[in-house]
Amino acid sequence: MKKLLVILMFLAAWVQASEVYFDSRFTLWKDATIFIWAPNGDSPINASDFCHSLRRNNTGIGEPKCRELGEWERDSIAKRYGNWLSNNLEKDLPSTFLRARHPGMAAKLQTLEDNIVLYVNPLDKFVQVAIFDETSQEPKAAGIVKMSNDKMALGDDIASTFFDKRTKRRLTKEERLKQQTEPDDLYKEVPRLRFWAGTGIGYSQAHFPLTPDNWTSSHTKSRVRNYRITKDSVSLWNFIDDADPFFAIYAGLTWHGFIGIEFLYRYSNRNMKIDNADTVYRELDHWDFGQHDVGLNVLLSMTYPITTWLDITPLAFIGFQYSFYNEDISLKKGVKKPSRAYQYRVKFEDLYKGALLGIGGQFVFKKHYGVDLRAGISSRGRDIYEAPSPDAGKAPTTIGKSTIDCFVSLGFEYQWTL
Amino acid sequence: MTIKKSILSIGFAICILTGCADSYHWKASHPSYHRAPYGGIAITGIDDAFVITRSSWFAKRLEISADSIQIKGTTHCRNTFETEMRKAYGNLIVIPDSISRTSPEESLKLDERIFIKGHIPEQGISLKDSAGNVPPLVLILHEFIVGTDLKRENFYDYALIHNESGSIRKPDNVSAVFSYTLWDNLKQRPLFSAVDEIQQPITTYKLSNLTNLIQLAVQKIRKNLYEGVSK
Repeated sequence: MKKLLVILMFLAAWVQASEVYFDSRFTLWKDATIFIWAPNGDSPINASDFCHSLRRNNTGIGEPKCRELGEWERDSIAKRYGNWLSNNLEKDLPSTFLRARHPGMAAKLQTLEDNIVLYVNPLDKFVQVAIFDETSQEPKAAGIVKMSNDKMALGDDIASTFFDKRTKRRLTKEERLKQQTEPDDLYKEVPRLRFWAGTGIGYSQAHFPLTPDNWTSSHTKSRVRNYRITKDSVSLWNFIDDADPFFAIYAGLTWHGFIGIEFLYRYSNRNMKIDNADTVYRELDHWDFGQHDVGLNVLLSMTYPITTWLDITPLAFIGFQYSFYNEDISLKKGVKKPSRAYQYRVKFEDLYKGALLGIGGQFVFKKHYGVDLRAGISSRGRDIYEAPSPDAGKAPTTIGKSTIDCFVSLGFEYQWTL
Repeated sequence: MTIKKSILSIGFAICILTGCADSYHWKASHPSYHRAPYGGIAITGIDDAFVITRSSWFAKRLEISADSIQIKGTTHCRNTFETEMRKAYGNLIVIPDSISRTSPEESLKLDERIFIKGHIPEQGISLKDSAGNVPPLVLILHEFIVGTDLKRENFYDYALIHNESGSIRKPDNVSAVFSYTLWDNLKQRPLFSAVDEIQQPITTYKLSNLTNLIQLAVQKIRKNLYEGVSK
């Protein structure tokens, strides 16, 4: 029985404790001015004590000023709304149902500037609390705290329940004026042309992440014997390394923040995948290819201003590229005459044509300094149309007809607008 | 913040494109509306709410001169409305419009596109009847339009209110479009608001048919007041 009583008392205490009905995260200013509005004139808290409570509970609040809002306490329109609010402040009632309808009351709220009104209405066992600012005709936050005759304790309770949040610096008069005349971000004019140029690094590989290994392993595990022999020659990755970093320079422009075009150049160095078991390579010092890609992308993008100093532009691109391979081969010192196999080693095409496809994002800081992330797939191959001829069977196979890889890149760029 | 706005606007655009804006909400309940009025209620607004459109058509059918159809017709409607409400609620208090219509006309939102217009009492001031009592619940009748072939969206959807009806043809129905609010007079808040529409097929039209129209309207109001209770 005693246990039950304790539980009941605990429950009763819990029910009576402070409770926030809603809090729409109003702006709490540093050095805030807080008007304490008790609609019936008998404020349960003391203005100067409440300021001390604020400073005790929120170290970021600076030097707040508090005073009683006498002009509202003596105003019949405000008084009516205050009493109405007291009748209507219920748990689970959204703030829209608490809107001040009277034009006079709405005008009072709109002219608060950056001052905060703290509505406190003492009832028997608890105090109704609501917070108003200039941005809305309904309370920004509301709830109840336990009634206490100790004004200091009550002030602490209110401060810790409703004012325990991060503060913002108050704007100066000029800043406020500027902010009021600033156009809505949603209607902000998009620059007609946006240019960028940058350099970047990236990494490409033939194997696509999250796909089975055996899709590409026949290419990536292939080795070149006797300077030219592989199981299969459909992909260049049968001959040269596919997983390598690359260096990129690029420049582009976007028209009306939506459609754009971009030129890019990429360089990577690819080692030949020679079969080390083959004794013919004993004469060889090194054999690798410089890969030069020149491409042109069409971009579709949309810019979202996240903060004043950061814009994010997600984008998707599709384009084409030409790839050239620049052979770098040399024999060891002292080798007088290369082997026959060396002289008849594999030759790549002069030019490979391919496509680029991918998505990315540009993170532009301070309108000019951009970080560019991209991911995509690219291909290289021969797509020059040849009329079918009876000799087609005799013609040599084209090496690297279908060379596909995927890439990620990180770029640093400078942006400017027109 | 901006992303939120853009998502909202995209959502709104999708909503318009898919046409979900076409389904209206004609009723709105306050979350604290838990019990429909029973036994007693006060009504107000009935002196000025009734309007008869196509008055010459009604004048001819009801055999009332065209000059006085507005006055006589609306008075008949008003009295029928009061009688019917009195049958439904034993303890009926009628608050004259002169008391309730002192506040300015305001709009009350039911839906993204539907707004009731009416004199809504001020926050913090309770309506009093002529004896000085404060009735707890007041049914405010904002508008009651009697006419032929009326559609409520033409009166209450702000995107359609400037549409003009086509050529006058032989009407099929006598209609009533009416808006009302159940007012919590103690806490000064709208408990339930609605716009209703009644279509009454025309055979021969007499004053008894008009009486019947008002009876149907009162039935509909009572039904909606019960159904509108928030669970």
